[in-house]
Amino acid sequence: MLEQPSILIVDDDPDILDGILMILESRNYRLRTARDGVQCLEQLAEEVPDLLILDLLMPRMDGWGVIRKVRNDSRYAKMPIMILTTVIEDASRRRYELETGHTMDIQAYTEKPAKPVELLGQVEKLLQWKK
Amino acid sequence: MEEINNSLSVVSDRLRNSEVFFNVPDENLLAIAEFCHEEVYQDGQIIFVEGEPASDLLVVKRGKLAIEKKIQLGRHSTPRNATIAYVNPNQVAGFSAIAKPHLHSGTITALEPTRVCAIDGVKLREYLDSHPDVGYIVIRAITSLVRGRYQAATNTLTYFLSIVSHELRTPLAAVENYLRTMLGGFAGDLNQKQERMLNRCVIRVTDLSGLISDVVDLARMRPEQIQADFEWFDPGEVGRESIEDTRLAAAEKNVKIRIKPPDKFEPIVGSRRRMRQVFTNLLNNAIKFSPPDTSVDFSAWYEEDQLIFEVEDRGPGIPPEDLQYIFTDFFRASNVGDSPGAGLGLSIAKKIMDAHNGNIIGINLTDDGGKIIGSRFSVHIPRNLNTPEMRRNEWASKESNQD
Repeated sequence: MLEQPSILIVDDDPDILDGILMILESRNYRLRTARDGVQCLEQLAEEVPDLLILDLLMPRMDGWGVIRKVRNDSRYAKMPIMILTTVIEDASRRRYELETGHTMDIQAYTEKPAKPVELLGQVEKLLQWKK
Repeated sequence: MEEINNSLSVVSDRLRNSEVFFNVPDENLLAIAEFCHEEVYQDGQIIFVEGEPASDLLVVKRGKLAIEKKIQLGRHSTPRNATIAYVNPNQVAGFSAIAKPHLHSGTITALEPTRVCAIDGVKLREYLDSHPDVGYIVIRAITSLVRGRYQAATNTLTYFLSIVSHELRTPLAAVENYLRTMLGGFAGDLNQKQERMLNRCVIRVTDLSGLISDVVDLARMRPEQIQADFEWFDPGEVGRESIEDTRLAAAEKNVKIRIKPPDKFEPIVGSRRRMRQVFTNLLNNAIKFSPPDTSVDFSAWYEEDQLIFEVEDRGPGIPPEDLQYIFTDFFRASNVGDSPGAGLGLSIAKKIMDAHNGNIIGINLTDDGGKIIGSRFSVHIPRNLNTPEMRRNEWASKESNQD
C-alpha cells in the first residue's frame, strides 16, 4: 500500500489505549485516539480514517451512540468499524436492535482483551474492506 | 357529621384519581375512604422493608417514593439495593397488603417529603371480599401494576449484572492486554525467565476472567431466557464450531479429537449459542483431564425422539462419591488437583439442558476389572422443541379452533 492507512482508536481506558497503540505502532499506520464518543465524532469530522476501532461503554457518548450517528451519515459510509469491548457480542447487538430497530452495521466485533497477532490480522483485513 | 362526610369525599376524590381505584364507583370509594388515614414521611425515611408484613396500601398524594429490591450475586456476596421503580402522586405502593402472603416484596423509601393516603389492608381485603365487583376492578388494576413491577425488576437485574460484569472485566482486560503486548515482543525483547512468568500471568488472568463470565452467565441463566433464543439450527455445524473453540487446548497436550458424526445431520430446534457452550464445556473438560497424547471421542447420533451427543475421554474419571454432585454450582471433584476452573462448566451445561427439557449424564468408564479408564458425558436433546414463533402459531391455532 502506497498510502499510510489511518486508524482512529476510541477507548476511555488509558491503559487499553496505550497497549493497543503499542501493538499497532509496529506497523506503518497513522494513529489517532479519542477517549469518548463525543471526542470520537469531533475527530471524525476533522478527517475520516480508514478504520475506526471503537469501545462501547464510555462516558459522555457510548459506542452504540457513535454507531448510530456514523451509520446515518453518508460521509462515513465507506469507513469500516471494529468494536473492541468487554461487552458480550449478542448482548450488545440486542441492545442496539432494541434501541434503534436496526441491526448493528459493523464490520468486526472483538471481545477484549484481543490477542496482538489476531488484532493485527483483523485490522489488515478491515483496511481492505470497502463498501 | 357534615365535616366527616366532607373529609370522606375528599379522600374518595383522592382515591378516584389513583391508578388502582379510578374505575371504582363513588359509593364504594366513600366506603373505602372510611378506613383510610393520612401519613407523612420525611425525605430519606424507610417506610417498608422487603420481607416484612404488609399492612397498608399507600396512595401517594404528594412527593415521591422509591421501590428497591435486594440483589445478591451468589450466596456469599454483600446484598445491594437496586431501585426498580418510582412511585409518583396518584400511584400506588404496597400492593402486598392485599396480595398474599402479605409480605412486602420490596423496600420502599421516601425520596422527598411525601404525603400518602394509607388504606388499612385487612379492612380493604374484607371490603373487596364482600363486594366482588369492586374486588374485580381493583385486582385487575393491581395485576397490571405487578406485571410492570416484575418487568422492571427483571430489567434492573439484567442491567445490574452487565454493569458488575463490565466493572470486573475492565481492569482485567487492561492487564491482559499489557501482558500480551509484552509477550508479543511489542514492548522490547524478553528473556526466557520473564517470558515464562508473563505466560503464567496470562493463564491466571484468563482463568479469572473466565470465572467472572461464568458467574455472571450462571446468574443470567433462566430457562425462559434460553427458550426465547430457540431457533432451527444445524447441530453438526455447532459441533464443528465447538471443536474449533477447543482446538488450541487440544493441540497443547497433543490430544486428538476423534469425530463420529451421524451419516447426515438434520436441523433441530434449540438455543444454538447455548448448545455450542454445552459442547465446548464438555470438550474442554475432556481435554483438560486427558493425559497427553491420548484421544477424546466426540460422537453424535439420532434416536426417534432425541439427538444424542457424547464426549468420552481417557482421563482419571470422577471419584464415585463425587458423581452425584458434578452438576452442582461451584463443585469441583476431589481429584482435579491443579487443573484450573471454578466448577461452573458442568452446572451451566446442566441448566442449559434443563431449559431444553433434555438431559446431561456423566458416567465413569471402567475396564473388565472395574478400574476407571475414563469418563463419558452424554447430552440428550429432544427433537420436538418449538421456536417462540412455532409456540405462538400453535397457541393461535388452538384459540381459533375454540371459536
